[in-house]
Amino acid sequence: MYEFSYVKPASLDEAAQLLANHDDAKPLSGGMTLIPTLKQRLAQPSHLIDIAALTELRGIEVTAGQLIIGAATRHIEVATSMTVRTALPALAALASTIGDPQVRNRGTLGGSVANNDPNADYPAAVLALGATVHTQRRAIAADDFFQGVFTTAIEEGELITRIAFPLPTRAAYAKFPHPASGFAMTGVFVAETGGRVRVAVTGAGPGVFRWREAEAALADRFAAESIEALVVDPSGLNADIHAPAEYRANLMKVLASRALRAILNSSEGAVA
Amino acid sequence: MDAKVIKEEQIGRSVPRMEGAAKVTGRAEYIHNIRLPGVLHGKMFRSRIAHGRIVSIDTSAARAVAGVHSVVTGEDIQRLIAEPYYGPAFHDQPVLALHKVRYVGEPVAVVLATDPHVAEYAAGLITAQYEELPAVFNEVEAATSPIHVHDELKPAITFPDLKHLKGKRGTNIALDYKLRRGDVEAQFASAAHVFEHEFHTQHIMHTPFEPFVALAEPMDDSITIHTSTQMPAYVRLEIARLLGWPENKVKVRTAWLGGGFGAKVYVKIEPMVVALALLARRPVKMSLTMEEQFYVIGKHATTFRIKSAVTADGRISARKCEVFWNGGAYADIGPRVSQKSGFTSTGPYRIEHAQIDSAEIYTNLPPAGAFRGFGIPQLVWAYESHTDIIARALNIDPLEFRRRNILREGDEHPTGTAMRDAEFEEVLVRISARMGWDQPFDRGTGTKRRGRGIAIGVKASIAPTTSFALVNVSADGSAVLFCNTIDMGQGSNTSMAQLVAQVLGTSSERVRVTQADTDVTPFDMGTLGSRSMFHMGHAVRLAAEHAREQLEALCAETGIEYQDEHSIAQAFRKKFGMQAGNIFGVGHYTSRYQPADHDTGMSKEITPFWMIGGTGIELEVDTETGHVTILRMVNVVDAGRAVNPRVVDTQISGAALMQMGATLSEEMVFNEGELTNPSLAFYKIPGMRDMPVAIENEALEAETRSGPFGAKGVGESGTFGVSPAIANAIDDAIGVRLYSLPLTPEAIYRGICAARGEPLVD
Ligand SMILES: Cc1cc2nc3c(=O)[nH]c(=O)nc-3n(C[C@H](O)[C@H](O)[C@H](O)COP(=O)(O)OP(=O)(O)OC[C@H]3O[C@@H](n4cnc5c(N)ncnc54)[C@H](O)[C@@H]3O)c2cc1C
Repeated sequence: MYEFSYVKPASLDEAAQLLANHDDAKPLSGGMTLIPTLKQRLAQPSHLIDIAALTELRGIEVTAGQLIIGAATRHIEVATSMTVRTALPALAALASTIGDPQVRNRGTLGGSVANNDPNADYPAAVLALGATVHTQRRAIAADDFFQGVFTTAIEEGELITRIAFPLPTRAAYAKFPHPASGFAMTGVFVAETGGRVRVAVTGAGPGVFRWREAEAALADRFAAESIEALVVDPSGLNADIHAPAEYRANLMKVLASRALRAILNSSEGAVA
Repeated sequence: MDAKVIKEEQIGRSVPRMEGAAKVTGRAEYIHNIRLPGVLHGKMFRSRIAHGRIVSIDTSAARAVAGVHSVVTGEDIQRLIAEPYYGPAFHDQPVLALHKVRYVGEPVAVVLATDPHVAEYAAGLITAQYEELPAVFNEVEAATSPIHVHDELKPAITFPDLKHLKGKRGTNIALDYKLRRGDVEAQFASAAHVFEHEFHTQHIMHTPFEPFVALAEPMDDSITIHTSTQMPAYVRLEIARLLGWPENKVKVRTAWLGGGFGAKVYVKIEPMVVALALLARRPVKMSLTMEEQFYVIGKHATTFRIKSAVTADGRISARKCEVFWNGGAYADIGPRVSQKSGFTSTGPYRIEHAQIDSAEIYTNLPPAGAFRGFGIPQLVWAYESHTDIIARALNIDPLEFRRRNILREGDEHPTGTAMRDAEFEEVLVRISARMGWDQPFDRGTGTKRRGRGIAIGVKASIAPTTSFALVNVSADGSAVLFCNTIDMGQGSNTSMAQLVAQVLGTSSERVRVTQADTDVTPFDMGTLGSRSMFHMGHAVRLAAEHAREQLEALCAETGIEYQDEHSIAQAFRKKFGMQAGNIFGVGHYTSRYQPADHDTGMSKEITPFWMIGGTGIELEVDTETGHVTILRMVNVVDAGRAVNPRVVDTQISGAALMQMGATLSEEMVFNEGELTNPSLAFYKIPGMRDMPVAIENEALEAETRSGPFGAKGVGESGTFGVSPAIANAIDDAIGVRLYSLPLTPEAIYRGICAARGEPLVD
């Protein structure tokens, strides 16, 4: 680790001000990604601005057909919230599969989405549900937000404050976790919202993406068989020490089918 | 009969672990927690290339960091130790790289600082220039490669069978064990059936939860080494040799070990810490991170070519084994693994014609050495997969095929040693009975397919080895046992206390076992290879018997009837007029052994005892993803008489679950010699959520007549059968045979695709 200053602002405004004043300042939320990065000396921020306790970034509520979750809400809170489990059970189920208890007790929604790890779970939900990412400056649609591996629409000094998830008619997430970390080797989130089907895939490609062929097939017929009939081209998918692209291509189909079966058998947002 | 005289038997009692409360309340002492005034912390700078000559090392930036005491390189070490090479089999490993580096991760320099974080920061500023050399990584290639990891072989004096390699040049073969019995080729030419396969295992790490830690404290004319080691006596010997000092100037002590599994045998970071402390003239501590452990020592990757001749009635008439052990850049104890385990490569079967070539091979990878099972799991993986393939091909039930060929009491092992107290068949019988092998089995449906498999393995004990013990009985009848057997979680202190109490007729709770301290605890070869219950067990028994003889004499002299600790206390009081005095009992034991003939590899007495372990597996395969769920794991071992049944049970399950990790997920993945997954976030060891749905362990009711109270070792037996039992069950479930570990979901799915004629391409 390199030296840095730790600052704990009292308000969102102060946090934003601190970020504006120091070019090399970085927001610190759950620290589950940022702290290991610092330990490996892969980043050298001048200041860490701890936003985890800001009240403006916390809270879970349902208003006007949307589930709104503060950016500093921890994974464990999403997994266990009765509000989430009632309004959007697939999201609660997703949060309960992230990492391990230590990671869930500290890691946050905003941190995960801002980081946009290509194997992270939340981005699949945000994209499939067509959620809106709110910052202190603007509202960004999910389709515009994720821009590839570890890249998002977030600008310097911009902070995610909350994420608004439209409530789907039906949705499920299925995931094949990496055995050690729990990250998605591949994860597929299927959602039908306002009569439209969206399918988002994480882990398989360079950043979360919408699986348009699956969406079209499911628009025709909302059934696992529609997925099974698809052919997934592995070229362009991730190949690394954890799995080759062909294996991930297979997982996309298997997991999408499983998500559909879970929806159609109306069990709560299932997880493989 | 007087009620007081009826003593509870101490052997066979599940005495609760003596250190249990201290450990779970966080009060047990570990070397890691020692704080010494004036201590310097060392952090390493490591090679980033696999093979090369060191041209220069630039330490100036590191030296300039505030708080840095000094930066030490291999040449600095040489000012202290002219020949700074260590190792139990070969003197091949430099304290810090000298002239050359031989693997990615090899220590090249150390920064000393009062603050470990400063040391680490400064180590990151060191740079080195190398003249890169071609490197060799695969064990089979390295056996004949023109690329040589070492210019010349430098065997240590310890092992007579390595002497002939002294001065040998132009080779990577650090030991070639051969067994020649009968005529295998003639059998292959005439046999009804011949089967030949090649199997592979991967390089893995021990992952003790307490990484390597050592602290050297220079004294006036001696040095104290506080270290987490399985072999304090050897550390003392090797440090004394390196420094040219008498042994008694080197004091080695341990505290509790947070796991060892073979990683902490012989010397590891001790020579470095000692050299640094002597150069700095201050105490030096090094505590490695979890990640750094990957670069210290691991388990041999292997290639095993096995060929069997089988008669028309299903009997194995000949077997030829060719085993290549990937030893990495430094031999460590690898040559012992390739010999002591190598000679069991044909498995627990009666085979008249046998040929084994088992070679330890240098490569440009991190060193490999002892690892729970000492090479046996790699061998059993191959020969028990092979055995199952044969049985299935001949349409013989795999259990029946094994029983038809298994070694029985009195049979000659291919090495020429007769089987004694080795309950192979009974292990098979108990596994199959528990599994209901002859009952119908639910094979699953759809995408969830079920199968079951069994496997059995055998291990010899490393021999000859010696243990000494000392029992000190106090005037109140309580006793302290001084022994160098290291309790690293396996419960040995509790079991050893039981042996003392059994002999003295007291209770185990009245016996305390000291931590090793070479100034006071007598010599022991080391805690490895499941040798301690047998060897140290005998030494402890003899020491306690020696104490008891003297106690009985004391009682006779004072006119007190010898019964228990109360009568002992009375006798002391009567003799010395108060609660005063001691009685010392000493004992030592060396196992019987006859070295293997150099040309035939045979011996009438190749091991003091045999260890036997088998596993039965029921599992379910998800045919869409290749994911495996172990539904049931049945482990049965012959451990002789269980001194402490609870300890034995946890040794069996602990060993089996560790091997389950080696089977299903663990793998150090190298790319041109560079480890790509040195982190527990990528390298998967089993956790609580990965446990089999059901696990059962059984230690046969058996007796090792040559062992103390009928006991023998049990630390590794649970590992033997696990890998092939899983692979055999996978084959049983989905008809897919796998030849390489680990059996990851992807590997299994790949097999499924290949079997249905749609192989995965990549
Ligand atoms: C062992 C382990 C296992 C894991 N397993 C999984 C898993 O299975 N699935 C999964 O999805 N994830 C997993 N994670 C990642 C985990 O979910 C992290 O919590 C998450 O990636 C980052 O969230 P955080 O709150 O810890 O963010 P931090 O580490 O604090 O920050 C991450 C990055 O986001 C920035 N940031 C944080 N908050 C904001 C904000 N509000 N606005 C703008 N930028 C912000 C930070 O500056 C930093 O660059 C795992 C992590 C670990 C260590």
